[in-house]
Amino acid sequence: MKLVSRLILAIMLILAAGILILGPKPDENVPPGRIVVDYWEKWSGIEGAQMQQIVDWFNETVGREKNIFVRYLAIAQVDRKTLTATAAGVPPDIAGLWQRDLVSMASRNALTPLDEFAREHGIDQSAYKPVFWKMCSHDGRLYSLVSTPATMALHFNRRAMLQSADQLRAAGVDPFQAPRSIAEFDRWAEALDLRDERGNIRRAGYVPMEPGWYISLTPYWFGGRLWDPARGEFYFTDPRTIQAFEWIQSYPRRLGKAALADFSSAAGGFGTPNSPFIAGTVGGVLQGPWMGNYTFNLRPAMSEWVVPKSIELFLPRAARQFNYEWAVEAFPSVDPVSLPDVTFADADLLMIPQGARHPRQAFEFIAFLQRQDVMERLNSLHCKPSPLSRVSDDFIRRHPNPYIAVHERLARSSNAWPQIASPIQAEIGAELELAVQQVYLLEKTPAQALAELTDRARGKYQRFVERQSLRGRMAPRAVTAVGGQP
Amino acid sequence: MTSRDRAQLMKGLAFTSPWLIGFLGLTIIPCALSLYYSFCDYSVLEPPVWIGLENYRELLIDPEFYRTLRNTAYYALLTIPAGLMVSLGLALLLNAPIKGQAIYRTVIFLPSLVPAVATAMVWMWLFNARLGLINTALRTIGLETELRFTLVNRILEALNIAPLRPLPFPPAWLSDPRTAMLALALMSLWGVGHTVVIYLAGLQDIPRDLYEAAEIDGAGPVRRLFNVTLPMLSPVIFFNLVMAIIGTLQVFAIPFIMTGGGPLRATYLYTQYLYEKAFMYQQMGYASAMAWIQLLIILALTGIAFGTSRRWVHYQGR
Repeated sequence: MKLVSRLILAIMLILAAGILILGPKPDENVPPGRIVVDYWEKWSGIEGAQMQQIVDWFNETVGREKNIFVRYLAIAQVDRKTLTATAAGVPPDIAGLWQRDLVSMASRNALTPLDEFAREHGIDQSAYKPVFWKMCSHDGRLYSLVSTPATMALHFNRRAMLQSADQLRAAGVDPFQAPRSIAEFDRWAEALDLRDERGNIRRAGYVPMEPGWYISLTPYWFGGRLWDPARGEFYFTDPRTIQAFEWIQSYPRRLGKAALADFSSAAGGFGTPNSPFIAGTVGGVLQGPWMGNYTFNLRPAMSEWVVPKSIELFLPRAARQFNYEWAVEAFPSVDPVSLPDVTFADADLLMIPQGARHPRQAFEFIAFLQRQDVMERLNSLHCKPSPLSRVSDDFIRRHPNPYIAVHERLARSSNAWPQIASPIQAEIGAELELAVQQVYLLEKTPAQALAELTDRARGKYQRFVERQSLRGRMAPRAVTAVGGQP
Repeated sequence: MTSRDRAQLMKGLAFTSPWLIGFLGLTIIPCALSLYYSFCDYSVLEPPVWIGLENYRELLIDPEFYRTLRNTAYYALLTIPAGLMVSLGLALLLNAPIKGQAIYRTVIFLPSLVPAVATAMVWMWLFNARLGLINTALRTIGLETELRFTLVNRILEALNIAPLRPLPFPPAWLSDPRTAMLALALMSLWGVGHTVVIYLAGLQDIPRDLYEAAEIDGAGPVRRLFNVTLPMLSPVIFFNLVMAIIGTLQVFAIPFIMTGGGPLRATYLYTQYLYEKAFMYQQMGYASAMAWIQLLIILALTGIAFGTSRRWVHYQGR
């Protein structure tokens, strides 16, 4: 018995020694003597490989010169893992997060302010399109810089428009132009609807929930606002917001709730060839510039209407657009004259969490990425516009997305709106989603759903204020929500 | 204690130390910390601030807390009896001496080995309103209509309660708030394999002579089931009931993947709300309070089950 227990103990000791000797070792690819900057990012697959190209470029140039080595690590749920690592005191040096994370993390002192570093590198707001610079700051301090930006626009199916040209003309809509106003858009969408003999929707001109990612931001296209950061107030009962939600509800009312549920259940998920826009079962969607890559990868024929892609790239930009079954324009607003080029602007942001071991070296990489040539290379690869105010002709001419000029125009628009910059944005987003569902499933009138949403949002913000006041960060006060505009 | 005993103790502790360290570090300390955090404002990113019973007070006035409790109770009421009955029925069938018994047992057990995500994806397609196998089958056999609930609505009308709206049949399952929970409950029966195996072991433990005696007394198959099988199997049923209560009140992965709590929060369950509070809304203190309330509810229900067990659970040899 004694022999057996000693034998087991010996085996365990040998195993432990083996793990120590043969276990994880420092990365052998890191050149000796360099400071390693850990960079966590959400992108894996092609997008990750494209970012790795930029990281390699840095490591071979500026990194070599300044003795820095950036180690790129693709991480699923990077926001939650960064949060946990930051709480544990072992955060990455750079975290590639979303716009929605910034205020929530910055308001809890979880991010390193970058103002000083930016000043040292001569980086200021003059180099950026205003909407993107604005989303990098909170409470007057800079906490991030953009890696890849996006603007949302109407992506529409030109082949479907040609097929239904007579119906479009009958509805008073030009079959060769994108609709400009909401009223024209509604006629356009209705003219593109096709049903089978059983009444099932075969093609819908527009379905607000396809994919529905930005549907809760519809009030922007009606001139409404959702949130005033200065006063910490929500504006969900503004007449323009109610009007926007009434517009959302007009679609299930017209198309039929059951028919829409049936249509959506048959639709494939985003990123599949059966997704409605790619499959041609929906006439238009509110989407971002990445659709250029998705359409080409999932259904190349959509981007080779006249000539093969290899030939098209030699054509002038204006001529290139005729090769596409799909096109892009600003999503129509309620009044295109007073409210032109409305868009929701989003961006992937680079941040340095509090407690990062090498913040100065981390910023060297972030600053490298802000160079015009590097930024244009990355965003060409990712099929997105540039966040910088200066853009080269080459970037526009050689960009894989033939409609990148539209996205550039939208990004410069004074009607480009960023994410709600609330410290409780995740919670408010979930509440907004519920209100949209209530309206879309015809469970509540828009006025009811939005009044209830206002109450819930006010309660949540009140709680946040009270909890922050415990820490001496905010003065305790009663949060009010009013119906007017900020 | 002699030196030999001490040496034995040290050796014992050395061999159990990996488990002891794990239990202490990964269970006891986190549990104690979560109890402490439940009395704090704690966002994970900042140090906890003691606020006493504030999180618990807030829970009592939180409508989402009650909504998720209601939904979880509804889910439990649908799945626990159905799961216990279906698995017992399957176990009784599989216990019959038939050809290919081992194959049937394997087939029934196999689904419990499929990972939760894969199961969820398959069932999302099965429940698909237009293309799903279930609705296609129902339509093929001509079951396509609209349920008007005429009789129920008359009763509701008499009680001055809002009538039920007509429901298309076959329904849109996961995308209709009225049927989404039912769909999840139906789907939960897919994983009864483990329970069936436990029932089978219990069934094989019942002495044959009890059946023979009952047969001599003139008991038919139904009498034998109710007077021999079920009483003798009652400790196993009780075990499965307790496990089902614990498991169902903590259910998370499959509803989270299949419906994300929707539509209209009709399938928003307690554990999902707890998870979102902790990891999406950075309210770890509040989530800790929720976790302790959940533990108390599970303890109370298990206690009730134990309290009533004396009346209906019969242990052999007692």
